[in-house]
Amino acid sequence: MKKTKDSGSNQWQGLVDEEIASLCSQWFKSKGWNPFPFQQKTWKAFLDGKHGLLNAPTGSGKTYALWVPIVLQYLKNNPEYKTKHTKGIKAIWITPLRALSVEIQQAAQHFADDLETGLTVGIRTGDTSQSERAKQKRQMPDLLITTPESLMLLLASKGYEKTFKTLTAIVVDEWHELLGSKRGVQMELALSRLKTVSSEIRIWGISATIGNLEEAMDVLLGTDSRLRENSVLVKANQKSKIEVRSIIPKKMETFPWRGHLGLHLLEEIIPIIKASRTTLIFTNTRGQCEIWFQKILEKHPEFAGEIAMHHGSIGKDTRLWVEQAIRNESLTAVVATSSLDLGVDFAPVETVIQIGGPKGVAKFLQRAGRSNHRPGEPSVIYFLPTHALELLEASALKRAVKDEVVEDRIPYLLSFDVLIQHLVTLAVSNGFFPKEIFPEIKSTFCFQEITEDQWNWCLNFITIGSQSLQAYDEYQKVKVTPEGLFKVESRQIAMMHRLSIGTIVSDSMMLVKYVSGGFIGTIEEWFISKMKPGDTFVFAGRTLELVRIRQMQAQVRKSSKRTANIVSFMGGRLPLSSQMSKILREEMQSARLPVGATVAPKRKTPEIEALSHIFERQERESIVPNESEFLIETFKTREGFHSLFYPFEGRFVHEAMSSLLAYRISLLSPITFSLAYNDYGFELLSDQFLDIQTILDNNLFSEEYLYDDLQKSLNSTELARRKFRDIAVISGMVFQGYPNKAIKTKHLQSNSQLLFDVFRDYEADNLLYLQAYRETFEHQLEEGRLRRALERINSQKTIWKQCEKATPFSFPIITDRLREKLSSEKLADRIKRMTLQLMK
Amino acid sequence: MIHDLHINNHNFKLHPSGAIYWEEKKMLLIADVHLGKVAHFRKYGAAVPVDAAFKNLEKLTETSNYFQPEIICFLGDLFHSKLNDEWHDFEKWVEYIQAEIILISGNHDIIPKYLYQDLDIKVFDELTLEGFYLTHHPTEIKGLFNFSGHIHPGIKMRGLGRQSLRLPCFYKTLNSLILPAFGNFTGKHILTPSKKDEVFAIVEGEVICVSQK
Repeated sequence: MKKTKDSGSNQWQGLVDEEIASLCSQWFKSKGWNPFPFQQKTWKAFLDGKHGLLNAPTGSGKTYALWVPIVLQYLKNNPEYKTKHTKGIKAIWITPLRALSVEIQQAAQHFADDLETGLTVGIRTGDTSQSERAKQKRQMPDLLITTPESLMLLLASKGYEKTFKTLTAIVVDEWHELLGSKRGVQMELALSRLKTVSSEIRIWGISATIGNLEEAMDVLLGTDSRLRENSVLVKANQKSKIEVRSIIPKKMETFPWRGHLGLHLLEEIIPIIKASRTTLIFTNTRGQCEIWFQKILEKHPEFAGEIAMHHGSIGKDTRLWVEQAIRNESLTAVVATSSLDLGVDFAPVETVIQIGGPKGVAKFLQRAGRSNHRPGEPSVIYFLPTHALELLEASALKRAVKDEVVEDRIPYLLSFDVLIQHLVTLAVSNGFFPKEIFPEIKSTFCFQEITEDQWNWCLNFITIGSQSLQAYDEYQKVKVTPEGLFKVESRQIAMMHRLSIGTIVSDSMMLVKYVSGGFIGTIEEWFISKMKPGDTFVFAGRTLELVRIRQMQAQVRKSSKRTANIVSFMGGRLPLSSQMSKILREEMQSARLPVGATVAPKRKTPEIEALSHIFERQERESIVPNESEFLIETFKTREGFHSLFYPFEGRFVHEAMSSLLAYRISLLSPITFSLAYNDYGFELLSDQFLDIQTILDNNLFSEEYLYDDLQKSLNSTELARRKFRDIAVISGMVFQGYPNKAIKTKHLQSNSQLLFDVFRDYEADNLLYLQAYRETFEHQLEEGRLRRALERINSQKTIWKQCEKATPFSFPIITDRLREKLSSEKLADRIKRMTLQLMK
Repeated sequence: MIHDLHINNHNFKLHPSGAIYWEEKKMLLIADVHLGKVAHFRKYGAAVPVDAAFKNLEKLTETSNYFQPEIICFLGDLFHSKLNDEWHDFEKWVEYIQAEIILISGNHDIIPKYLYQDLDIKVFDELTLEGFYLTHHPTEIKGLFNFSGHIHPGIKMRGLGRQSLRLPCFYKTLNSLILPAFGNFTGKHILTPSKKDEVFAIVEGEVICVSQK
């Protein structure tokens, strides 16, 4: 908060009575602070009874922007607050990360105590002890700081409406983080219930800058016009200065064309680490994080004990220890993933290093913002490319930062899985009458378009487990009482439901524990399943030996053996956002040597300069396309016939476009493709020659029948199947077991893959099954973006280059090992040409 | 669509349903049907489509109508769980079917034996017949050829252009053969065969030998 010389202004006037006003004013003065305009605006709006969204970055004093008026409101309503404390919860503060809760609690409690308000602040998250929860149950703190999942759990307990009746406010912190996820939908639904239960409630969100702030507010408040009209969007307008420095390899010629680890440049960051107090090294995946940590220690043992690692799969205690160690400056560097993107400010962090393209401007800004909070000075972030072309991304990022381009967060629509979870939650606690709940559901942004039919489908799903009554069916979940109350009666169903709220959504996670006890973290089952007892692997920076697997627990002991087997995780690769893609395409133009020109083009950054030999080679073997050209390359290797397409639109769009094109080609004649893609382009690899002219002649990039064709091409790929994983868990179809309990649940464990197949074969109109496809279109394939990309391609001139060998552009794509496939050949025909994978 | 197999002078037919017909004994071998699994899941609140359960019995009927066996031998995990309503459908099916029924019990078969005996189904832990050893868990015994289930074998196929596919299969080694799971609400366990093993994959209603001879 800004230091002040003049604090005599009358900023409190008109808000509260004079006595309270002077108390606040004194408090701020005693801190040497002068309230920011955005704080004052928020205070006023809140006390005027408005709802709203506050757009302010971390570390800007946003907590006080909303906590102060909540306290003031209480003092206003309770003039005798000093002698008589009015019981009952006043406000809920939602935070997406547990790690943030302590910080908020301290700030809030501090202010409440200094003003002698007698208000209490409590935390309730997955980490809160059983006894503490029970205590809260009897007597809620005045401010409860919690996560969306823990709030859901409160709604799943009896009598919640009495507990929440006294609420005057709910603040959803880091709303931008929740918005583009199903936790956001969970919040929307919880809010829809609280609006009814607590008549005095004001709804506020706090969001970092995103492209669609207005929409973010609409999602938060829902479609209820009374709320919308009485709401306000407050912007802090604090510009953060960020300086991006790329680490450019000294020998560009030997710098690899592909790869995603970036270890070649490890030595380059050592001096950076040594020169600053604390350095955060951000990687894009947990696997990469593990590897970097390991390699730094291997090459520089002198760092032992001074560097640590932080990612989402490491046990909570270790993570908290690391966070604390950053604060008290006992660490030189921390290798982290997005688990450290958010949250608490770590004052000692002087430097941030980003390894590999962050793929989005917002993420990059957030990470950069983790360093150096000294006012006036810019935050410095180093960018370390993992392969040559990523330097282009670095150059594009610099521009994005300068031009303040930020991405949108796309909210989910009609997430029936979350709705089903919500309905069962209500049925577990008090039970519900559908005619009372339906208007609430309909008033949320997510479900504004829900039809009566869909609503009835959901009710049938939770009560009879299908759409028509089955003879002798023992389906049990929600029962309907003669009065028409929807209620869960089975204690076991209720317990299973509570446990499944907030389980980490992933296929199968295994706990890693020492044989002697002691939890290390969680890893994906597929990784452990490849190993035999006695095998060693590196996880959380330790070398561990697998002793045995017992009920979803991998029991390990420390090992002194050396191993190259570092734990790895599925997924986690982010696509280039559409904003970044556009800047990237423009940036590439500055790398082109105009035809006949000998003088370098004007806007050349050091990154583009360093890439010149690669662009030259690309020009020699193919071309670097200009704005009006669409490049297609074909060549043959031992693996088969490669056809490469370069729309430069980001991974997800390429994923969709490759399936679409492969499908359309396969309609012409039976053929099988294996598909690969990165942020720059995609590849169709086949064992048959592919004549590009046929694609052009048949107008296969057409936007017509896009949806239909995509749907059909997706039947052959497995995208929807993967989306279904989350849906099955959230809707309670897949039970993940009792955490840390030795109760056998094996007989109830099925995998979502199997369920997906069963739905496909026997209940293809199931809304949850269909949702998997819809999510694939809207969130994964970004249908709208795909359509625009196709329009662009159709307006461009296609250049087909038949190359001798792999070009610099193609190299990172053709070596990608994560592949999809698409085929129009009969399965049996394909099998005859395949070979069995044998034991090595 | 059927694959014929000759083992120790006996003739076997591998059927794309996952069943094996033993000609000499007029016996149909079927492993891991996991009846009752759908109902079991539904009882605990997971709305698995009911049709999946009906289809299991339909498939049993079709397969036995096709071969007209004298004996149907289930190699374990016939019923997935405790008694539930799918048992009644199974009872009706047993009444309808002409053949004698034998069950080699598996790890999931926790339904009391007498209930099977009431249906005239004989229950064994294992069975030896003319040099063939029928079990639920794969079990090697010298001098005997073992037929078993339990594993739900599947294999992964690879092709040019980095294609890959996972398919259920009959998995044969020198002295044993593991049957694929017959039930439709069951998973697959992917095996990596050695060069000596023979693998018969099930692909769209066909049984195809995918291992090199």
